Amino acid sequence: MKLAVVAQRYGQAINGGAELHARYIAEHLAKHAEVEVLTTCAADYVTWRNELPPGVERVNGVAVRRFRVKHERDPKLFGQRSSRVFERRHSLNDELRWLDAEGPASPALIAYVRTHQADYDYCLFFSYRYYQAYHGARAAAPRAILVPTAERDPAIGLAMFRPVLRGVRALMYNSDEERAMIHAASGNEEVPSVVVGIGSDVPQNPQPARFRQKFNIRGPFAVYVGRIDQNKGCKELFEFFQAYLRDSSGRLSLVLIGHSLLPVPEHPGIRHLGFLDDVDKFDAMAAAELLMMPSYFESLSMVALEAWGVGRPVLANARCDVLKGQCIRSNAGLYYETYSEFIEALGAIERNRWLSGALGRNGRQFFREHYDWPVIERKYLDMFDRLSKEPHPSRTIAPLPGWFARRRQELPPSEEVLAALPTGPSLGRPAGRRP
Amino acid sequence: MPDFNVRSDSVNVEQIMEQIRARIREKRGVDYTEQQLRELAAVKLEKFLDPRGVRSDLLDQFKRRQPTYEPPVLPSFTFEDTTIYETHRGVLAFIRRLLNPIFKLFFNPNTIVHALHTQADLNKVNAEREAVREKQRLEIDALYYEVIHNLVFEMTRLGIETKNLKMRVESIGSRLEFNERRARALESAVVYRSPSDDAIPEPPPPPPPAPRSQPPANAYQRPAAPSFSPPSPQPSSTSASSEQAPATSPGQGPAEGPGQRSRRRRRRRGRRGGTSASAMMSSGQTPSTLTTSSGQAGSAPAPATTADRASPADADQPASPQTTDTAEPRVSLEQAFATDVQPTETRAEEASPAPAPAPRPEPADPAPGTSGDPGDHNQQ
Repeated sequence: MKLAVVAQRYGQAINGGAELHARYIAEHLAKHAEVEVLTTCAADYVTWRNELPPGVERVNGVAVRRFRVKHERDPKLFGQRSSRVFERRHSLNDELRWLDAEGPASPALIAYVRTHQADYDYCLFFSYRYYQAYHGARAAAPRAILVPTAERDPAIGLAMFRPVLRGVRALMYNSDEERAMIHAASGNEEVPSVVVGIGSDVPQNPQPARFRQKFNIRGPFAVYVGRIDQNKGCKELFEFFQAYLRDSSGRLSLVLIGHSLLPVPEHPGIRHLGFLDDVDKFDAMAAAELLMMPSYFESLSMVALEAWGVGRPVLANARCDVLKGQCIRSNAGLYYETYSEFIEALGAIERNRWLSGALGRNGRQFFREHYDWPVIERKYLDMFDRLSKEPHPSRTIAPLPGWFARRRQELPPSEEVLAALPTGPSLGRPAGRRP
Repeated sequence: MPDFNVRSDSVNVEQIMEQIRARIREKRGVDYTEQQLRELAAVKLEKFLDPRGVRSDLLDQFKRRQPTYEPPVLPSFTFEDTTIYETHRGVLAFIRRLLNPIFKLFFNPNTIVHALHTQADLNKVNAEREAVREKQRLEIDALYYEVIHNLVFEMTRLGIETKNLKMRVESIGSRLEFNERRARALESAVVYRSPSDDAIPEPPPPPPPAPRSQPPANAYQRPAAPSFSPPSPQPSSTSASSEQAPATSPGQGPAEGPGQRSRRRRRRRGRRGGTSASAMMSSGQTPSTLTTSSGQAGSAPAPATTADRASPADADQPASPQTTDTAEPRVSLEQAFATDVQPTETRAEEASPAPAPAPRPEPADPAPGTSGDPGDHNQQ
């Protein structure tokens, strides 16, 4: 079996969520099939500047074929087009221009996929919202398997993605919430799909004492791992945690791991360690009482899964449906929407040892059952097997409409579409609407 | 913190969150007791008025938070009769000028130009007025900040003063309580010296102190009756019974002379008379000679108490029930002291192995509370 993994960026040093996801999947599937990665020469997701050389190279034993990006992203133009399609009535042509502005526009990559699609059994396209996934899936529709990595943002409301989501051979979702959202947005329930997510190489014996000694950390603490950014909910986390520290009964301190794009409050109870390698990261998680996950938008929180992998509970932001759903399904984490809930939930984990222990055990079990690498690989292989047994599907991606139809200003703002989508965790019961 | 009604082997996150929300609703409800309300109010006030949390640069902080007024950047509002024909392309401008008469055939742009021109003037006036208002608001805000700043500092100062006063009241209260206990202890330790004491010759010089290897005497140990009756060669009224008594126990400290022993027996006998010193005092009996356990003695002799005279031999019967009964108040006093001065008790025990001061003519009565000076306890 030969597989193509098509991603917007790819490399050892590229740590974006979807890109890392693509690399992990490619490397693990390489044990079972011949895998080739098709990607761009870009390394920066803001500019899509050609920084890496075009051609073929090997990354961790996987062949990577890079293609040049035609033009860099113009942030001003992209902002204008985003505003148009997200906030105003617009045409399909506006959406296509938005996608072109978003990038990474690499016609060479799309041409290669179109001409060499027969060389592969399946093509795995990562991140539905990027140029290479949209045009690549159209170019190789009979072999296209989409890993959408969709978040609850206005892009999911764009009309141009519906034919793609309805016409690919299969979809590999990250979470039940993502699947429910895409079903509601595109009506693609009949497309074969499975909730897979991603695994993680969690060490068997992390060393909490080593972490404490190395960074001179004493006492119980909660840990946050990830980019320290307002978009990740860190500002709210700081406000809540500082209020918690003002309460004399709070014993926990907060340890932050990751690059900071936000000023970290200067407080003796809050400590920022910067970016750490995986060994220190897992040691920190094992030493912590719990992991904080304040993000509003996640398609899948790898950090939360890793915390569960080392048997630590998670306190997540309930406004993120995915996180809330994962906490409920795993019975391994609590969640908060307001400050009162934050304080109470944090106090419950902090002061009830049995609760913390039970949540951690459930988390470890949940991780082993759903996110261990053999489980993930098996799900992909089962999907390939299922598709290979299917007769050639009658459905395909609908072609783009004509010149005039594409320019008809009849599409609603995508934010309106997004607001109409169901919300809440997907727990096998009708999801409510966000008020 | 919450005791969740969930078994540890079947954690249900949704159930826990429900309980957490119920607790929050409970807290926010109107079912607060008066005490809870007071506690909440105190907590909130303390949070704000905690002297450690008060910023000395509060006013600066206020001012820094106040955004400086920046007039909005508005596009140029100048609108003239040629504005609608302006363009940076020379050719286009020429064509527009050329076609201007034709445009005017279809509509009258002058009214539009006039309206927009007036609107531009209005915008300018409004912007100026808004700037004046903003300036006034900023000035008033500065005054508000000053007032808040002063209020916070004044309330913090009051809070500190209140705390200091509370601490002083507590300190005075504890001193008063201690003094009361001390007075009671002293009262219970009062003994009355009988006139026969004067006939007893002065005790011989005390023997050398006990060696260090001897087990320390427990300051709070209740003295055993036989230990007070060592054999005495001195002829006295109590010598017969004294001879039958066992020798001094190892924990008793240095050996005592016969005069000391008999004097102490009489003292104890006096205490066993059933009437406390305070009762005697209140009943009009005023002993002129009072010997405290610390060895302080009055100067004038006093008549013996009734108990002293009535049963002089009772004290010589070590196993008599009276002995047990009369020891009870001392036990309770010991307990009272033991609860209050526990650390000092340890110190007294540590200090006891040292040899007792030799020149002391009248060894202290092992009454409770006298092995260590309570006043010392207070200082430590």
